[in-house]
Amino acid sequence: MTALRSAAGQARGVRWWARKSVRRTLVQGVSYALVTLGAAVVLVPFAWMIGTSLKARERLFVYPPQWIPDPVVWRNYIDAWNALPVSFTRFLANTLFITLLAMAAEILTVSLVAYGFARFRFWGRDVLFIILLATMMLPGAITMIPVFVIWKNLHGLDTYDPLTIGAWFAWGPAYVFMLRQFFLTIPYEMDEAARLDGANTLQIFALIMLPLIKPAILAIGVLSFQGNWNNLSGPLIYLNTLEKFPMVLALQFFQKTLAGGSEAPPWNYMMALATIIAVPILALFFLAQRYFIEGITMTGMKG
Amino acid sequence: MIGTYAYTLSHYFLVGAGLGLAMLAVYGLLRLLGVKGEAATGLALILPWLLGFLIWTLDPILASLYISFTDYDVLQPPQWVGIANYRTMFTADPDFLPSMRITFLYGLLSVPLGLAGALGTALLLAQDIKGIGIWRTIYYLPAVLPAAATAVLWRWMLSPSAGLINTLLSPLLNLFGLPRPAWFTDVRLVLPSYVIMSLWGIFGANTVILLAGIKNIPRHLYEAAEIDGAGSWVRLFHVTLPMLSPTLFYTLVMGIIGAMQVFTQPMFIDAPRQAGIFINVYIYQQAFSRFRMGYASALGWWLLLVILLLTLLVFRSSAAWVYYEGERRR
Repeated sequence: MTALRSAAGQARGVRWWARKSVRRTLVQGVSYALVTLGAAVVLVPFAWMIGTSLKARERLFVYPPQWIPDPVVWRNYIDAWNALPVSFTRFLANTLFITLLAMAAEILTVSLVAYGFARFRFWGRDVLFIILLATMMLPGAITMIPVFVIWKNLHGLDTYDPLTIGAWFAWGPAYVFMLRQFFLTIPYEMDEAARLDGANTLQIFALIMLPLIKPAILAIGVLSFQGNWNNLSGPLIYLNTLEKFPMVLALQFFQKTLAGGSEAPPWNYMMALATIIAVPILALFFLAQRYFIEGITMTGMKG
Repeated sequence: MIGTYAYTLSHYFLVGAGLGLAMLAVYGLLRLLGVKGEAATGLALILPWLLGFLIWTLDPILASLYISFTDYDVLQPPQWVGIANYRTMFTADPDFLPSMRITFLYGLLSVPLGLAGALGTALLLAQDIKGIGIWRTIYYLPAVLPAAATAVLWRWMLSPSAGLINTLLSPLLNLFGLPRPAWFTDVRLVLPSYVIMSLWGIFGANTVILLAGIKNIPRHLYEAAEIDGAGSWVRLFHVTLPMLSPTLFYTLVMGIIGAMQVFTQPMFIDAPRQAGIFINVYIYQQAFSRFRMGYASALGWWLLLVILLLTLLVFRSSAAWVYYEGERRR
C-alpha cells in the first residue's frame, strides 16, 4: 500500500499507530515513564536512609523490608548524637567554625582575584591565568605532603589553621575562573561611568561589580559551603583530637571504632548521623536550589 | 575548645589583615617603580592568588618532586635514594598494580556510564516535560548529599545480608538459583559496587549540566533541520550532540580526573585489600600511616603523569568529535 506522507503525518494508507500524533503521544508516555522510574531510583535510597535511621536495632534485618519503621524510634537520633565520647553538638560547632571561616575568606579573595584578572591589563596576565587554569587539574596528592610539612613547621598541626587560613589565598581556581567569566560579561562602560564620577577601584568593585554578579557569588557561596562542610581529607590529615573533629570526620571515627568490620554495625545510628550531616545541606539546597544548579552548570558549561 | 578556636581565629584575622596590607603595599611599590595605575591595581588584586600559588602550590610541587627521590619520615631529614621509590612502585609493591587497576577502571567505567545515563535523562527531560523544575531538583538531590553520607548509605544498601539491593534482588536470584552478591566483600564485586554507588551519586549533577546545555542550543538550528526534512534521530545526531559536544567533553575530562582521585567514599568502606586500594587513599596511607613520605610523593607524581596523559588523550581525540561554534572546519 502506498503511504504518502503529508505534514501532519496523516495520509492515505498510513497505519493508525504510525500516525504522527499517536507516535508523539507514545513517545511522551514512554518518556514520562522512564523519567518517573529514574526519579524513583534516585529517591528510594533517601527514603531508605531516613527509614533506617528511625528503626529499632532488632528491626533492621527483617524480611520483607519494612519501609515505614514500626515502631518509629526517634530516640535513635538522641542516642547517635551521644554515641561518641564527645557530643555531636561539638562536632557540629566545629564544622560550622571551619566552614564559615573558610567560606568568608574564600569568597572575598576569589572575587578580588577574578576582578583583577577580568578588568585590568598587566604584564603576564594571560600567562598567569593559564597557570591558574592548569592548577585546576593538579591532584591534591602532590602538594599534600609538603604542605603538611609547612604546617608542621608553623605549629599548625592539630589546629584549625590549615583548614581555614589557606582560604585567604583564593584556593579555588574553578571559582576564580567562573567569576572572571562573569566579570567579563559586564560592559566596560559601567566602570568608565563610575570612574568619571570619581569612584576608585575598590568602590567600583564593591558597589557596582559585586551586585551585578550576585547570582554567581551566591552560586560560589553555595559550592564553597558544600566543599567545606563535606571536606574529609583536610581534617583527617591535620586533626588528631576527637574533640576537634568536624562532623564528617566524627562519622568516620564512629564507623571505624563502633562499626568497622563487626558483624552488624549499628546501621540505624549511622543513618541517623548521616542524615544529621546531610540535613543542613539539603535544607540549603531547597532554599537556594537555583544557586546550586547555576553553580554546577556554570562550571560545567563554560569549560 | 575555646582556646582552639581562638588560636585559629587570631591567626585567621592576622593573615587576612596582612594580605590586605600586602596588596596595598604592592600597589604602592609598583606605582613608585613607575608602573601604570591599571597594571599596578591588577597585580595588587591578584596578589592573594599569586602568593598562594607560590607558597602553597609551586613550592610544594618542587618539594614533592625532590622528596619523591628520597626516603622521608618527617622526623628525620630526607635521605636521597635516587629512583628507588619509582622502582619499588613497579617491582616491589604488591599493592601498587591493584591500586592503579581499580582506580583506573573506576574512572573509565563510572564516568562514561554516568554521562551516558545523564545524557539520556537530559534528552528526556528536555522534551518539554511538565514540571521540569521538580524533576531537576529530584535528579540533582544525590549530588547534594555529602559524600560521607552517600558512602555510609550505600555501604548499608549493598550489605550482602540485609541491604536493600540484595533484598530487592532476592526474588530474581532465587528464580535462577544464584547466590546473593557479596558487594564490597567479594574481591570481584568491589569495583562494581563502587561504580553503582557513583552512578547514583553523580549522574544527577551531570544531568543538570547537560540539560542546561541542551536548553542553550539555539532553536533556529532545529527549525532549519526540520525544514530540511530531518527526523528526530537525525536532529539528535546532527544538531543536539554536536552542539553539546563541548560540554560533554569538559564533563568527561573533569569527570575522569575527579573519579581517579576519589578519597572520601573509600574511607568509609572496608573492602578487601586484593581488590585494590584507590590511589589517593593509598598515597594517604603511605604518607600518614606508614610515614613513607618519599614513596607517597613518588606515587603522587605517577598519578599526576597518568592524569596528564589521560587529559592529553581526550584533548587529542576531541578534534575528531568536539564541535566549537566559532571554529573553522576544513
